Amino acid sequence: MRDSTLETQIRLLTLEVENWKKLHDFITYALDKSKPIISADQERQFTEIRALLLQESEHVFSQVDLVTELSGKTMNVLQRATSIRGVRELSAEETRRLEADWNGVFTRIGVVQGQLKGRRRDLLGRSFLSMSLARLFGRKAA
Amino acid sequence: MAAVVAFFTRENPAGIEARFLLFLSRDVSTVETRLLILNPDPVFEDRALALFDAMPKVETRIVRTLSEAVYILMRENFDLFVVEGESRVAVGQATNIRQHFPSLEVVCLVEQTQDATLREEALQQNIELVATNCSDRQLRSRLRRIVSAFERQSGTPAEGIDPCHSLVGNLNQFSAAEILQMSCMSQRSGRFTFKSSRGNSEIYLHHGMVRHAIYSSLEGEGAVAEIFRWRQGRFYFEEGIISQVQTVNRPWTHLLLDNLQKLDETVQLTSAQGSNER
Repeated sequence: MRDSTLETQIRLLTLEVENWKKLHDFITYALDKSKPIISADQERQFTEIRALLLQESEHVFSQVDLVTELSGKTMNVLQRATSIRGVRELSAEETRRLEADWNGVFTRIGVVQGQLKGRRRDLLGRSFLSMSLARLFGRKAA
Repeated sequence: MAAVVAFFTRENPAGIEARFLLFLSRDVSTVETRLLILNPDPVFEDRALALFDAMPKVETRIVRTLSEAVYILMRENFDLFVVEGESRVAVGQATNIRQHFPSLEVVCLVEQTQDATLREEALQQNIELVATNCSDRQLRSRLRRIVSAFERQSGTPAEGIDPCHSLVGNLNQFSAAEILQMSCMSQRSGRFTFKSSRGNSEIYLHHGMVRHAIYSSLEGEGAVAEIFRWRQGRFYFEEGIISQVQTVNRPWTHLLLDNLQKLDETVQLTSAQGSNER
């Protein structure tokens, strides 16, 4: 059996994690001083990812009840990381905060994603009728 | 039916429940149909995505840009490619994918399919157009019909390699282009069979010329182009098997140059994605 709400939550979180990882790739690039000069195309891609995260994060977190927990940290990351060049020019303390906030959000999303996938696996082994019967008999379905 | 009878005749209700539930439980280990979905706004425009999510034995992968889609299609195998979005843009993207992946089944989910030029274009490129301006129920049944067509096709083909074949190998060591080049240079006649998770395909040579190629519903140069992209799988050559059918009329060198150029163009499409990962 598939639960449509659960599937939607997993899909949204997967998309959020993807964007969050892409943002990290850019931050890592920016912080690596040995990398060559940042191109306009890279800046455009970075802004694209940032725009997606800005418009989608709140909605995604509200679907999985994580708004209060993660909204602040997410905004901190997105406001600090204004551009790749901007990240390269951050002070050591600001960089540390940026990475800590990014990691806080990433870890929490990853944990919730795992929990939801576990619930999906449990549900897949059951049919709709078996779930209904289990509810009727007041016991967990096999 | 047998389980329902047991339900009424057994005395122990707990045992009955367990047996009945066992009867109802489904095997979830069967092969899934893999869909790659190109949707520029999968978070807010997710009507079709929600319908795909609810389908059993369907695995979906969502991408937002064409370059991401090409990047993934070069590395993984999918049963179906679905493009969602504004009609003109979606058909344009689907056409682009069709040019680079001729054997891939492509479906376009668009708001309306009334535009005759759009329909014509889709027909020419063998792209299925599905209108989304209908009820959820109608859309669900249309999508289910499309996806169910692939359920029976999934599965890994049998190896079936005979030790007496004159040339046997792995595509991750030698590409199809390399082994065909070698065979054509030495004026061979026979049949090459390629086996991978994408299916089986055959290329027939006659005195060092490609005479016939077949892969799934594709024949001729389209099938050769498809095999050029394979990086996984096995191949073997059987000397002396000649095809009566001739679907390829151009010399091998022309095919080789054209297909290598096409492959370069496909790789270029993914360059934006690649620079993202660097």
